[in-house]
Amino acid sequence: MMEIAIRVQGLKKSFGSQQVLRGVDLEIPRGAITVVIGRSGTGKSVLLKHLLGLVPPDEGTIEVGGQDLWKLRESGRRDLRARFGMVFQNAALFDSMDVFENVAFPLREHSGWEEEQIGTRVREVLASVGLSSAVHKLPSELSGGMRKRAGLARALVRNPDYLLYDEPTTGLDPIMTAQIDALIRATQDQHPGLTSVVISHDMQATFRIADRIAMLHEGRVILHEDRETFRQSDHPVVRQFVEGRLDGPIRPDLS
Amino acid sequence: MIVQSVEAVGRAVREVVLGAGRYALFLVRSLFSGLFPPYRFRILTKQMYFVGVQSLSIVMITGAFTGAVFAYQSNYAFSKFGAETMIGATVTLALVRELGPVLSGLMVNGRVGSAMAAELGTMRVTEQIDALESMAINPLQYLVAPRILASIVMVPALTALFDTIGAFTSYWVSTRVLQVSTGAYVARTQWYVDVDDLVGGLFKSAVFGLILSSVGCYYGYYARGGAEGVGSATTKAVVAAGVAILIVDYFLTLFIAPLGVG
Repeated sequence: MMEIAIRVQGLKKSFGSQQVLRGVDLEIPRGAITVVIGRSGTGKSVLLKHLLGLVPPDEGTIEVGGQDLWKLRESGRRDLRARFGMVFQNAALFDSMDVFENVAFPLREHSGWEEEQIGTRVREVLASVGLSSAVHKLPSELSGGMRKRAGLARALVRNPDYLLYDEPTTGLDPIMTAQIDALIRATQDQHPGLTSVVISHDMQATFRIADRIAMLHEGRVILHEDRETFRQSDHPVVRQFVEGRLDGPIRPDLS
Repeated sequence: MIVQSVEAVGRAVREVVLGAGRYALFLVRSLFSGLFPPYRFRILTKQMYFVGVQSLSIVMITGAFTGAVFAYQSNYAFSKFGAETMIGATVTLALVRELGPVLSGLMVNGRVGSAMAAELGTMRVTEQIDALESMAINPLQYLVAPRILASIVMVPALTALFDTIGAFTSYWVSTRVLQVSTGAYVARTQWYVDVDDLVGGLFKSAVFGLILSSVGCYYGYYARGGAEGVGSATTKAVVAAGVAILIVDYFLTLFIAPLGVG
């Protein structure tokens, strides 16, 4: 059995009168890619924010590397957060800085390294995501795929223990999607101790990159299995989602 | 019908109270975060340049014309009872105590408060603020504290410039255009205007700097809903800070008067 890196137990969260997470239990193994799938608006992004300790849960616990996030002080949570890298849906690059400065930013903030060391590391990471030619471009001059890669480089630059992706391929064409998927897979394979969590609703991409797949539905994890078991699952909700059918237990919101 | 309108009033009051509480928390947390290292000197100087240096022209122009027109209007009033030599003292007192702080505050609010709301709002809706948080950086400390501090320092500096230029154009209009005696103008001004008047005015302008930057940042920081949300946050920030400056001005004037300053 693989070591558990992140353990979520009985996580509940409401915003106003809307209950988004209704008791999420999820064990995320170290050294693998876990993809969390679910329909839009099922609280996938909210779950990611909980893993980072950015949002306090209403009920339940989140343990990262054996430490209960909300039993730590704010400073302890921040130290733990510094071991995460996060790739945002639209990359969330700082648009006042060029690619180099964006990727160097976490190092400047946290590493205390000399400029030379920072430069070497930044160029190394940018090369690993295939962005060596765009080092001094501004985010506004990049294509969607390049932005994602720059976002990935920024998340990777400090060699995080945990890497979170929020819908990494939304809005990309199929070829670009395949490229980013390959990059996510390659990143994982190059960093054996890395724990990756990907939020997605793209089934094709999910089956390409996942080691394990969890499905979030109506605020709970209804199935969490390795990729092949998940693919063959006959859970009606999972089947409907995987096959993208209209008829089934998931009611489309037509109102 | 009656129940509904009572409910509506209740909801509105609740919104106002919640908003005020959220703003107060935001302000206290931002100021508090600025007390601890790492100190963001580079961002601070960049913001001081933006708030101060880049507002020079609008403040100088408003100051010049305010002094000039106020001299003209004072002359109109004073000439009715032959007290033209009082123009200098009157205009200079009004400038350093009231017009300088308030008008520079409002002008800088239009330029700087709106820009802060728009910039932070854009960063919010494009998840750049979330990105800062995910990198274990406190966005209040990184984004908000330097902007507030820069404004607290630079708005009084701009006000001092406004006062100086306004006093000069008033002198020029009075003595050169309206033919008031130079000696009497200067003597009366020196006699009636005190350093305390200036200090009180500059203190007020520091508070206005705090208001316009924190309100601008607040609306931007909590903006939501894409480009439209950023637009409405910007408008709300400028209006709210402008109104707040005028209201707070009244109470500050009442409170600092007994201190013998301003």
